Amino acid sequence: MTEEKVLIKGNYAIAQAAINAGCQCYFGYPITPQTEIGEYLSGKMQELGRAYVCAESELGAINMVMGAVATGVKAMTSSSSCAVSLMQEALSYAASDELPVVLVNVMRTGPGLGYIYPAQGDYNQAVYGGGNGDYKLIVLAPSTVQECVDLTYRAFYLAQKYRNPTMILADGLLGQMMEPASFGEYPYPEVDVSSWALTGAKGRPARTIYSVATEEKKQIQHIYDLHKKFEVIAENETSYEEFNTEDAEFILVAFGSMTRNIKAAMNVLRAQGKKVGCFRPITLSPFPYKNIKALAEKGKDMIVVEMNMGQMLKDVKYAVEGKSQVSFVNRPCGEWLSVEEIVAAVNEIIAAKEGSISGKEMESRYATSI
Amino acid sequence: METNFIIAGFGGQGVLLAGTVLANAFMLQGKNVTWYPCYGAEMRGGTVNCEIVVSDTEVSSVHKQDTDYALVLNQQSFDRFVQRVKKGGTIIANSTLVEKTKPRYDIHYVFAPMGEIANSLGTSKVTNVVSLGVLSSACEIVSKEFLAKGVEKVLGEKKRDLLPLNNKALALGAEALLQKA
Amino acid sequence: MQQVFSIPKSMKKDFKYTFCPGCDHGIAIRLVAEVIDELGIREDIISSTSVGCSVFLYDFLDVDCVEAPHGRALASATGVKRARPDKIVFTYSGDGDFASIGLAESMHTALRGERVTSFCINNTTYGMTGGQLGPTTMMGQVTTTSPTGRNREYYGYPIKVAEHIALCDGTAYSARVALDSIPHINEAKKAIKKAFQVQLDGLGFGFVEILSSCPTNWHLSPEGAHKRIREEMIPVFPLGVFKDITENK
Repeated sequence: MTEEKVLIKGNYAIAQAAINAGCQCYFGYPITPQTEIGEYLSGKMQELGRAYVCAESELGAINMVMGAVATGVKAMTSSSSCAVSLMQEALSYAASDELPVVLVNVMRTGPGLGYIYPAQGDYNQAVYGGGNGDYKLIVLAPSTVQECVDLTYRAFYLAQKYRNPTMILADGLLGQMMEPASFGEYPYPEVDVSSWALTGAKGRPARTIYSVATEEKKQIQHIYDLHKKFEVIAENETSYEEFNTEDAEFILVAFGSMTRNIKAAMNVLRAQGKKVGCFRPITLSPFPYKNIKALAEKGKDMIVVEMNMGQMLKDVKYAVEGKSQVSFVNRPCGEWLSVEEIVAAVNEIIAAKEGSISGKEMESRYATSI
Repeated sequence: METNFIIAGFGGQGVLLAGTVLANAFMLQGKNVTWYPCYGAEMRGGTVNCEIVVSDTEVSSVHKQDTDYALVLNQQSFDRFVQRVKKGGTIIANSTLVEKTKPRYDIHYVFAPMGEIANSLGTSKVTNVVSLGVLSSACEIVSKEFLAKGVEKVLGEKKRDLLPLNNKALALGAEALLQKA
Repeated sequence: MQQVFSIPKSMKKDFKYTFCPGCDHGIAIRLVAEVIDELGIREDIISSTSVGCSVFLYDFLDVDCVEAPHGRALASATGVKRARPDKIVFTYSGDGDFASIGLAESMHTALRGERVTSFCINNTTYGMTGGQLGPTTMMGQVTTTSPTGRNREYYGYPIKVAEHIALCDGTAYSARVALDSIPHINEAKKAIKKAFQVQLDGLGFGFVEILSSCPTNWHLSPEGAHKRIREEMIPVFPLGVFKDITENK
């Protein structure tokens, strides 16, 4: 791959990046709006002599990934919302077994079957887990097709580096859109997996990768260890971007492809003389709590913009710790909030702050209380 | 400054491909660009459309409620998207399949017999490329030169033999308005 | 003095026996270990484990194992084999894991003709949870969830796993064996070996259904349990080879 830019769909970008990252096996089952990932890889993986299985279900697919990564190779599956729900049991196992599973969720609308429109309703499931027990995934949220490439590379690296299941949380908009992107080379070093990978018990004691500890003390220690590991991940890997936050009085906060709209809204508002900045977590898990808290401590108000009923909103509120005001602008799914709508909402929030419209009136229009 | 386009027609008219050519042209021109299709069930019947947003700075939302330009290849698409053109915007229609009506007075209309022009080249399959030619003379930010490069890129090595036909389609499309004027 | 019996080399040296007295899992696992020894493949094996009493396989066998959630052993095994086609991959499940919760994964693994080997213990009940009705529970059989016996109205019919797997085009070998007597145990070992051999030869899916006793949940003595296999199970679940693509070659 050269540095030359190509116009490519987000789904294809993820698929090609997986190939470049050295993904040896893909297992998947079709679901709109991510089917192109499997379609693209079906041909390419066969050309490259790598593994590709049309799994019988998402249950099959994610468990095939678990089997494959247990042998030390890079492997992944991709799916969307309601079908990612089917994979939650396996993700809980993978976290406990410390298996470097890579999973792509190109979000559509929920709950239930929902519809194929893009949405951001799976934040809670991705960040807080739909599986049982105390575990955490690493969750990366791209906002451009270029980031579909970059964060796919990073997902494969982080998954193996920390032996932790890692999710790329995209949405139907990103999956379906085309945008110029360059691939470059896979930028991360290869992780040494020889200390744990299953390769047959040749010249070493047999290894078992399992989550059952029949002794209580061992189970307790195991959970502590998993969480200590995640503290290290949070320390080393938390990432975000911010724009114009220094002099900002109001900070728009969004993740994924909504980032594009808050940046544009910020530019419009700045042109109107409003001191507005942007903050956007790239890692949703680990979440940049400290960085948001630091901004809140300087008295900057947060305006969270999401295509759901207030999921990341809770994390922002948790980070802010009541030190500044947090407002919410949202739509549950479908037509992405437009730049104009966001600008209008922010102007009302600013007006309410300045006392020209009542807080209650504003609240009833834009904020969802939770 | 962002400009956006909707290209629409019925399935098989190659509107997604036309959009891909246009987006490639903008990319090759060094601009920021996005292409976003209607997708899923909508695609399996009725009209197909895609949106292209081009910008000198980063592209904001890729899916917008209204559009600066609508390039429509059939009547259904005309009826639907004439309502989504911004005040002062332009709708460019394939008069081979679209009646020359003007339901609004606050937008510009361009009609060209794209289907007939394509047929004159021996195949209606290039209607989409003809339409891009028409667009290039109706919209100054669309460059004929880069559209040709976009066609070349999209056809790739495998379909290189189709390049002369497509270039001809682009050129005839671009001339269509000049002849009328 | 000649040693005529020893613990297979593929068994762990320090295992603690965790099955109930009279349970045939011990025999089945030992047979698998003996076959692994005889084929000399211990160091190349990666096993995907199941959930149920069969999960304890990894406490006994000295081979690499990866855990799979309940019913997903064959999906996991598919992943392992596709990632490392040079390794020998097998699963060891109960009837609940293989043929109830995991039937889709099991059947599709056979249909794809994955080069893996799979053993399914059929003891006509869910053993680990205390003897409930499972996919192989026989008509009339009393379990904790079929207190008046399995009947058609409430429960429908049991599945004949080996016959179903034999119908899959990707299956290279499918057989049913029993562990109730020495001759049957010897036959079982041959089948287990064959199921590995078809994988080693790259021919397709190798499968053996093993009729085993569960004296605890059957409320029978070990001897009585074997008698039940002979007199009640075998007439319904006939022993034999249902598919062997190496025959007549």
